[in-house]
Amino acid sequence: MLNILKKLHYGARVLLSRGGGQPETVEIASRPTVITHGGEGEPFVYLHSALGESMLWLPFHQAFARKFKVYSPLHPGFGRSGGFDQISDIEDMAFHYIDMLDALGLEQVCLGGVSLGGWIAAEIAVRWPERVRKLWIADAPGLWVEGASLGDLFRLMQDREELRKMLFHDPHSAMATMVIKDHVDESTMLNAYQAMTVLARMIWTRPYDPKLASRLRRIACPTLLLWGEHDRLVPPAFGEAYQKHIPGAELKLIKDCGHLPMFEKELEFVEAITRFCAG
Amino acid sequence: MKYFFFHLMSWPHLPPNFEQTHDSAWIWAPNSLYDPVKGHDLYREYINTLAYADELGFDGVCVNEHHQNAYGLMPSPNVIAGALTQRTKNCKIAVIGNALPLYNPPLRVAEEFAMLDVMSGGRLITGMVIGGGPEYFSYQIEPTTARERFREALDLIVKAWTTPGPFEWHSKHYYFRYVNPWPTPMQKPHPPIWIPGVGSLETIEFVAQRRYAYMGVPYFHIDIFRRVFGQFREACQKAGYEAHPEQMGWGVPIYVAETDKQAREEFEPAFWYFIKNLMKGIGTTPPGYTSAKSAAAILKNQQYFLYQQKTWADIENGVFAIVGSPETVRQKLQRYQKELGVGVVLTGCQTGTLSHELARKSMELLAREVLPKIKC
Repeated sequence: MLNILKKLHYGARVLLSRGGGQPETVEIASRPTVITHGGEGEPFVYLHSALGESMLWLPFHQAFARKFKVYSPLHPGFGRSGGFDQISDIEDMAFHYIDMLDALGLEQVCLGGVSLGGWIAAEIAVRWPERVRKLWIADAPGLWVEGASLGDLFRLMQDREELRKMLFHDPHSAMATMVIKDHVDESTMLNAYQAMTVLARMIWTRPYDPKLASRLRRIACPTLLLWGEHDRLVPPAFGEAYQKHIPGAELKLIKDCGHLPMFEKELEFVEAITRFCAG
Repeated sequence: MKYFFFHLMSWPHLPPNFEQTHDSAWIWAPNSLYDPVKGHDLYREYINTLAYADELGFDGVCVNEHHQNAYGLMPSPNVIAGALTQRTKNCKIAVIGNALPLYNPPLRVAEEFAMLDVMSGGRLITGMVIGGGPEYFSYQIEPTTARERFREALDLIVKAWTTPGPFEWHSKHYYFRYVNPWPTPMQKPHPPIWIPGVGSLETIEFVAQRRYAYMGVPYFHIDIFRRVFGQFREACQKAGYEAHPEQMGWGVPIYVAETDKQAREEFEPAFWYFIKNLMKGIGTTPPGYTSAKSAAAILKNQQYFLYQQKTWADIENGVFAIVGSPETVRQKLQRYQKELGVGVVLTGCQTGTLSHELARKSMELLAREVLPKIKC
């Protein structure tokens, strides 16, 4: 019963935040890219995880939009963002987003993302450090970390319960069963398949960029690494590895949280990033 | 009409509770369950069985490629085919096939197939496949560009066989400064190309346009084959020609014994072992291996796949296998091969735990009592 109330509550907040984000399709180097934006203030770019959460304008987007001018693009291949045929690896994603900053006339931004999005943010920051004012990375792969394997999403993707266990600290919570539903309709399933296809192209051959570790020293801006303490997909050891290679980076663990802090610990997630980026 | 004898070289020694204790016979099924001493006996006997198919007068023998699994123990079918070039005299040797995106460089396939063609005196049939979903896990091959790489590799191989080398090759996924394989194939312009398919229209149209042969992979309901070969004939017409029956192959296990009752008793347990254990995990598919639309269609069509069948009546009604006395098998085979309009039947029987003796007895009955009496 409590779970149902919690779900209704989140649903109401999703409805309320809906007026906040305006989706637009912008041509980025001939790739039609859906960008939802909202709020006023410093430019703040949120790069989503392989879950594709930026298909919606969610309460955490809205929370960032209270302080910043938020840009929430959908990666090529997700939803109605096209041009996936031009993307063959993570570097192409980085180039896609520098093209986006150019197209939007954004000289310098607060940049960050969760999981796949965080990895893309890191790949952008090592190439164009001058374009990033502040960088935050949450629960992101991208490095080889000896002794700390990534979970195998591709093995588990059909098993909703196992998926929840991998992605959430509390797989029985209202949020976990709302994000990973037991039964999904066909359009949700097709979206999920397409999302996993994008992820497969990024990480199948190697779930990391062998060149990234030695390039991270080029990151010039303040960097916040934010990790779910119980992330079973990309364990906190990955956060420690990023910290080791990025000069002066701060690593902050979120208690009782798994791989998706923007859902499982929204408040702490939003607060930590807002404070870091506003400071 | 051509009859080929197909072998998967399955592993028959899984523990009795395997189905309950393991989620898959593929990819991550622990290889501690493999025993090389038993494996030695198996390879010897399986090769003997294929050589026997040649003696019995089958038109050809077939082998294929799978990795890290108990379902089929030929990670390199070319190795087995190499042995068969020396153990058979008359029959075709069909390797159906090599999974092209798994080979880097794919010129390896051009070379090995050319070797086999020369070694066999021009008896090779070359199968070119994308490879099953599990292979992409086992070889860590990026699945979302598999189809692109398959087409490029196929074009490269055919060109390597038909254009005097050396020449330079450039395509999206492959570059070679000198393409110049030694040896070149004995059959000119190149050995026949067979493409196994599981029913996607995309593959059917591709094979029709190229005038290759389409081999319907077994383990599907007869209704799927009815649709597939109908679509193939249409696709050939669209491409401006009438399909030749030998461009169409139907894969179906056949088991023959003295009576219907005896046939079922001998074959059924071995077949269920195959279905319940060895097919478990065969459908593990990485994202991007097919389009999202095809993936959805595959999920919807599950009930037409052998793995989902529950009873012997399901097997018989869907013609997932033809099992019976020589007369029963003759009637069914004659009826369905005519109805499907195929010119090639790919039949196997030693899936799962069927003994070598029973497999050979069935082959004898098929070759001596059934096939000579079929009216085409």
